[in-house]
Parts: sequence; structure tokens; C-alpha cells
Amino acid sequence: MSNLLNYIHFPIYSVMVLFLGAFLIVVLGKNKFLRHLIAVLAAGISLACMIALIKPVMLNGEVIAYWMGNRVPAGGYAIGIAMEVDALSLFFGLLISTAVFVSCVYSVQYMSHDENIPQYFTLFLMLAGGVMGLVLSGDIFNMFIMVEILTFAAVALTAFRNKVYGALEAAFKYLVVGCMGSTCILAGVIMLYANAHTLNFAQLSGIIPGMMSNNSVKIAFALLFVGFSTKAFIVPFHPLAADAHGAAPASISVLISGVLTKSGIYGIIRLTYFLFQTMGLGSFQFLLVFIGCVSMFLCVTMALAQHDFKRLLAFHSISQIGYVLTAVGLYTAIGFSAGIYHALNHTLFKGLLFLAAGAVLHETGTTNLDELGGLSKKMPHTTVLFLIGAFSISGIPPFNGFASKWMIYQACYEKAVESGNIGYVLVTVICLVTSVLTLASFVKVSQSVFFGRLPEKYENVKEVPWGMRLAMGMFAVLCVITGLFPNLVGKFLTHPAATAAFNANGYIDAMMGEGYASSALGPFMNSAQNVVFYEAGVWSPVSWLLILCIVLLAVTIVAVTGKYEKVNALATGEPDAKHALFFSGEEAVYSQVGGSDLFWGFKHNWRHYFSFMHDLHSGILNDYALWAVVALSLAMLFMLIVL
Amino acid sequence: MMTFNYIASFFLIVLGFYTIITKFNLVKAVIGLSIADYGVNLLIISIGYVPGGTAPIFTEGEISQLSYFVDPIPQALTLTSIVIGACVTAMSMSLVMKLHESYGTLDTREIRRLHG
Repeated sequence: MSNLLNYIHFPIYSVMVLFLGAFLIVVLGKNKFLRHLIAVLAAGISLACMIALIKPVMLNGEVIAYWMGNRVPAGGYAIGIAMEVDALSLFFGLLISTAVFVSCVYSVQYMSHDENIPQYFTLFLMLAGGVMGLVLSGDIFNMFIMVEILTFAAVALTAFRNKVYGALEAAFKYLVVGCMGSTCILAGVIMLYANAHTLNFAQLSGIIPGMMSNNSVKIAFALLFVGFSTKAFIVPFHPLAADAHGAAPASISVLISGVLTKSGIYGIIRLTYFLFQTMGLGSFQFLLVFIGCVSMFLCVTMALAQHDFKRLLAFHSISQIGYVLTAVGLYTAIGFSAGIYHALNHTLFKGLLFLAAGAVLHETGTTNLDELGGLSKKMPHTTVLFLIGAFSISGIPPFNGFASKWMIYQACYEKAVESGNIGYVLVTVICLVTSVLTLASFVKVSQSVFFGRLPEKYENVKEVPWGMRLAMGMFAVLCVITGLFPNLVGKFLTHPAATAAFNANGYIDAMMGEGYASSALGPFMNSAQNVVFYEAGVWSPVSWLLILCIVLLAVTIVAVTGKYEKVNALATGEPDAKHALFFSGEEAVYSQVGGSDLFWGFKHNWRHYFSFMHDLHSGILNDYALWAVVALSLAMLFMLIVL
Repeated sequence: MMTFNYIASFFLIVLGFYTIITKFNLVKAVIGLSIADYGVNLLIISIGYVPGGTAPIFTEGEISQLSYFVDPIPQALTLTSIVIGACVTAMSMSLVMKLHESYGTLDTREIRRLHG
């Protein structure tokens, strides 16, 4: 009994405790205190288990191979069902359990206005357990089961506030296209089984790379790739994310954007780096970088045209996933660690932003950017926390978004030098432009929600309860810490994970017994890459902080000493021609520069593009299903031609 | 003989996806999902089939090198997959009911409040 606290049991505990909590809440959920206690405790224990694994897995480089019922492989065949935790799994596990814990704390007070709260927490913990199970599992069929659990829970939670405008419709579209993705994953899994006669991930990774000339393996790859893409919501599945994030409660948007998309990215990494080991091919790197760049740019422009706070954030989250995918697709050590570093940062800052949007919704009852304004006077803490998130996502120096984007730029340039391909310089340019557009759209959001004039109907708005501010504060602190100490993040989290990603043979051997990889893979074995992190993402946070302070000081001096004349365009009667440009020209319209007016010049010049994109995202289920099938066919063609 | 099964299962999957793309009725979209799901189930069962094999039910000591039986794992997978398929249908039908209550229609072309 004493060895139950041995760390090799922690992965199973961290999954089990979430599901156990879900079922306990069904039974005991009537009691408010007990329900919240169980939920927070389950999320907390799961997080604690993950943190306890940092030392053995991240620092000592162990791979935890946990066979259920101790059915270890016999005769080179994996008979039992396994959990397998290497540094990559643990990295995603940590990221997920952090987001789940903070979101759980936030939900306690955020959901207080709703009905059926016990069901909410049950589904919440099911979703969390599904994602944890997915990243810690070592069995590909179990991965499919977990994908189904998380899809169901996410759909149910999207429709949870079914009175909200569009919630049901968002859930239904997500269900149909998500289930098409799951069907693809199942078909892919079974086609792999037909070829390799095993479902264990490590054993498959040992057998499949030698079978890549087989057409059914290629088709299986395409099916699995598209299946996990629907979970990551990369282009062309981004409209589903936008609908689902916008309609779900904010605490769930945090999970969908911070956690579900990451599980999709995790799946893609596992497929390309481990199971099929195709990342060495230039064409495959091109595929990932291309999808990443398209997601990045297309979604940021879609975000510029949005009028709803949460829908805008949703498009930004796919844009940031594009960064992650691009960096991962470079197939260099620094690129990979930059990518997952950005994945971590994205979970933190996007979580913070969604929680801030939820706080606004909780107090004002709307997320429409054109109706809000001036909330900084009423909700000062939320405003500061929101600004930290906005600075982070726009990549402003002392915050974490800058640190990881800087590494991504660096990785793209190094890749360009290394491969002699000038195209990777263009990738850097796209990354930079996207970053600028991100900043622009967050200027718009902060202007139209938190600054400007307060509409009269929001005179009685109060600051949100302390529990919600506490949750946002946790994310904000983590944003600052991960931004200020990139070296520590590298040492404890991203570098071990990147090393694990380039060491597929070690992963296979840890599971199937020493020497299995070399005997199974034979001539197809990729020699383990030499992973060096020489000056990866070097920048000095302190000097950047100083620069920020100096710039802020300069701005303050100019603002204080300069001639500052408060002009009320409407009170002066005839609007001044100089200011008329910024107002709609109609007196009846409230004269705050609305969210939609701020970049009207830019939007006007790009009007053809914007109206084309608007018409393309028609909101009709059949169109989105068609995109999914087209993506699947293209993926199959790509695999058949290239591999 | 199994070739026919494989062709039929992929035909069912394609038919299911085709239904989802071309039909504008929500209920038909749900039916399309189910058809695709049945296609996958047929595929799984066909992969585990061994011509002339018996049911994979043995007690300890009964099994030997000469035992000739169909692969039991795909059958277990199919059971799981059928259960999941039933859940998909149940959940999507309940959403369809709710959608009909609030939109008054089942036409996908009219259920598009969220777009652009």
C-alpha cells in the first residue's frame, strides 16, 4: 500500500480524479458547498500530480510507462493498455491542468446566475478528464475514446446556456463537423490496426514508419491528420471555433481555446514526430508551415472585422494556433521549443482575455463591442488584468507573448539560413504582420470596451466578485512570470519537451523494452537528432522593461505638458471638420469612436477582401461540412503523392 | 470476399458525408452521421474477420496453437464505437429538438445567426 504514492501512479490519478469528481458531483451536487469543494479539489489534485512529475520526467528525463494491471509486453507485443508520459505529454498535461484549475476557480462565482449548476460541473470535469486522458494515454484507441468524451462534453457545454443567441446552432455545427473528425480518427486507427495488429502507440511507432510505402497507411495518416485538425480548429475548421467560443460560457471558452485546441496540436505532433515520423521530409514541413501561416493570417483578418468580444477572441486563438503549428513545422529544436512555448503562453493569455470578457458579460450582460464603453472607471481591476492579457497576445516586450514570438522569428530565420530556402523569411514577415494586426485589433477592443465614454445604462456596473478576479490574477501572474524568465521556462518545460519530441526511439524503447526501436524500425530508424538550444530566444527582459518604462514616461510627459484640449464634438454644435473624420456624422449616434469605426480606413481599402471573407463564412452547416470533406480529400491526395 | 466489405464500408462513409453536404435538413445531417458511423463499424468488423474462424471465446487451458478464431479486438472496438454512435445520435437529436423550438425550422440555410 505504501507505494501507492509512488510517482509512477500519478498520471492515472490525475485522469481518474477528474472523472471521479464528475460522478461524485452527479450524486452530491445538490449541496452548493460540497459541489464546489469537489470540483476545485479534483482540479487541484490533478494539477498537483502533474507538478509532482516535473522532477522525474522533465529534469531526470524519465519516461513513465504505466501498464494497466501490470500487463507488460510479452514476445514483442503490447498486450495491455498503457499510459505513457514523456516530457512532451507532461508539458501538455501541465498546461491543461493549470487552465482547468484556474477556470474551475473562476466558474464557482461566474456560473452563480445560471440554472443546473451541478450538471455544468459534471460536464466541466468530464471535459477536463477527457483532455488529460488524451495527452497521457499511450494507446491510440484510448486516444479516440478521449477525443469523443471531450467532443461530447464540449458540445454540451457550448449549448449549456441555450437561451444565448446562437448557442444551440453553434453546438450543433460543432457536433456534426466534430463527429465527422472523430469518424475519420476511428477509421484511421482501425486501418493502422489492420496493418500493424496493435493499438499501442509506442509499438505502432516502431512498426508504421517501415510501412510508409503501403497506400492504406498513407490514407490512414490523412484520416488521422484531418481528424486531429478538427480538434485543433486550424483552417478550414476555424468557423466552428468562432461559433463555439462565442456562445459558450467564458470559463468554457478558456478550455476550448486553451485546452481543446492544444490537444489537437498534441495529436498532430504525436502523429508527425512519432507515429509516422515524416517530419524529416521538406514537403511535410512545408505542409505544416503553410497551414500554420494561412490560419495565422486569415483568422487575424477575420478577427478585425468582428463586433463581438468573444467571437473576436476566438478568431485570435486560431491565429495563435497558427503560430504554434508554423513553429512546430520547422522541425528544428529551437522552432519546436518556440512553438510549444507559444502554446503555453497562448493558454495563459487567451485564458486571461476570455475570463476578462466573461467578467464584462457577467456585469453588463453583453459582449457587443458597439454597445460597451468606458468600463475602466467601473471595473479598474478587470481593466488592468485585461491589458496584461492584451499586451501579452500582441507581443509587447516584458510579457510572455513577446518572448515566444521572438523565438519563433529567430527559429524561422535560422531555418532559412540552414535550408537556404528564402521562403522561410517570408514566413517571418507573415508572423510579424499578423502580430501587428493582433495589436491593432486589441487597441480596438480596449478602446471600445474599457476606454472612451461610459454609456448611461452601465452607470450601476460594479467590479466582479473576488473569486473571479483571483482566477484572472493567477493567469496574469503566470503571464508575467513566463515572460520575464524565459530561461527558466526553457530549462524546466520547453527544452525537455523538445528533446523528447526529437527522441522517438527513446520513447519506443521505454515502452517496449530496450532495443525494440532499432530491431523493429531497422533501416527506417531516424538517428536521434542532436538537440542544442544555443542562445535560443535570447533577450534581456530587464532592459526591455526599462525601455517600456522610459517610453511610458515620455508619453506621460508629452501628455501632461502638451496642450490638451477636451473637445466635445456634439456640444460645440457644428462638428469641427478636423474631428468629423472620426465620427459617423450623425448626431443621433453616440459619439464615442465605436469598435467598428476605429480602423475604418484600413477596412475600407480592404473592403473587397473583407466582404469576400464575410460571404465565405456563411454560417451554413453544409458549407462547413464541405470544407471538411475537401480538406480530407486534399490531405489524402497530398499523402498519396508525397509520401 | 472481404474486398466487397471494404468497398461497401467506404461507400457508406462517403454516402454519409455526401448526405451531410447536400441535404439541407438537420435530421438528414444526423442520419448522414449515423451512416458514416455504420460504415466505419463495418470496416472494423471486416478487418477482424478470419474466414472459417470460430467465436473468440475460450477458457484457460482450452486455447492452443491450433485454435482458429476471429480477431477479438476489433469486435470489442466495434461495441465501443456503436455505443458512441448511439450517443452521437441521441445528443444531436436533442439539439435538433431544441433548435426547432427556438428557430421554428429545420432548414440549415435559415439556421445561420452566427456567420461572417
